[in-house]
Amino acid sequence: MLVLSRQRDESIMIGDSIVVTIVDIRGDKVRLGINAPAEVPVHRQEVYEAIQRENVRASRLAPDETQEIGKLAGRGPVPNSGKAGESARG
Amino acid sequence: MRINTTRFGRIDIETDDLLHFASGLPGLEDCQRWALLADAGNEALGWLQSTSRSDVALAVVSPRRFVPDYQVRIPRSELTPLAMRDLRDAQLLVVVARHAGALTLNLKAPIVINVEARTGRQVVASGDLPMRYELVGQRSPLKKSA
Repeated sequence: MLVLSRQRDESIMIGDSIVVTIVDIRGDKVRLGINAPAEVPVHRQEVYEAIQRENVRASRLAPDETQEIGKLAGRGPVPNSGKAGESARG
Repeated sequence: MRINTTRFGRIDIETDDLLHFASGLPGLEDCQRWALLADAGNEALGWLQSTSRSDVALAVVSPRRFVPDYQVRIPRSELTPLAMRDLRDAQLLVVVARHAGALTLNLKAPIVINVEARTGRQVVASGDLPMRYELVGQRSPLKKSA
């Protein structure tokens, strides 16, 4: 891992278009300003990792485990009104 | 095309019904092609079935059906890869999971589908939204008596 020392209001550049600026330092907390192109999503790592864990867990769900969901649904759109209906859960 | 699934057996999918997730999904990055199936038993429920991994399927629902006041703000950077300006042109789904006997919805990371282009992406919504929004009345008897 590349390690750089920076002071408040100093920045680093990642590639041509991403600038990360040290906005504020207080105790053990650092505030970062991030300038990135519109098509580059920026996330806190722990949020992204939590989503990964949730997806992996959700991908193991069995149809039997979802049976009561019908009782909890209000009126509204269905996930897919298309023709695949006959294919899931025979 | 015909795909194998561990949950639903062998099923036929029209090529036009496939969805392409260019980045996969977080934690399932290798799954880029999915089919959206309706559940035969619950009309409120759908399944995003991976076409490459027979054992990978995500139960999905339209969030507003379960959380009427769900307000979602999605950064523009998350929608850019879908070539979509306006969320109103999208189909929005959330992933269902089960935690401690309760069904939960991941409201923080909805799946956005560009219906016309048949592309999709799981995005990170702005603000303080739960990844495990518990659907009420789902406690198992075991949990209640514990």
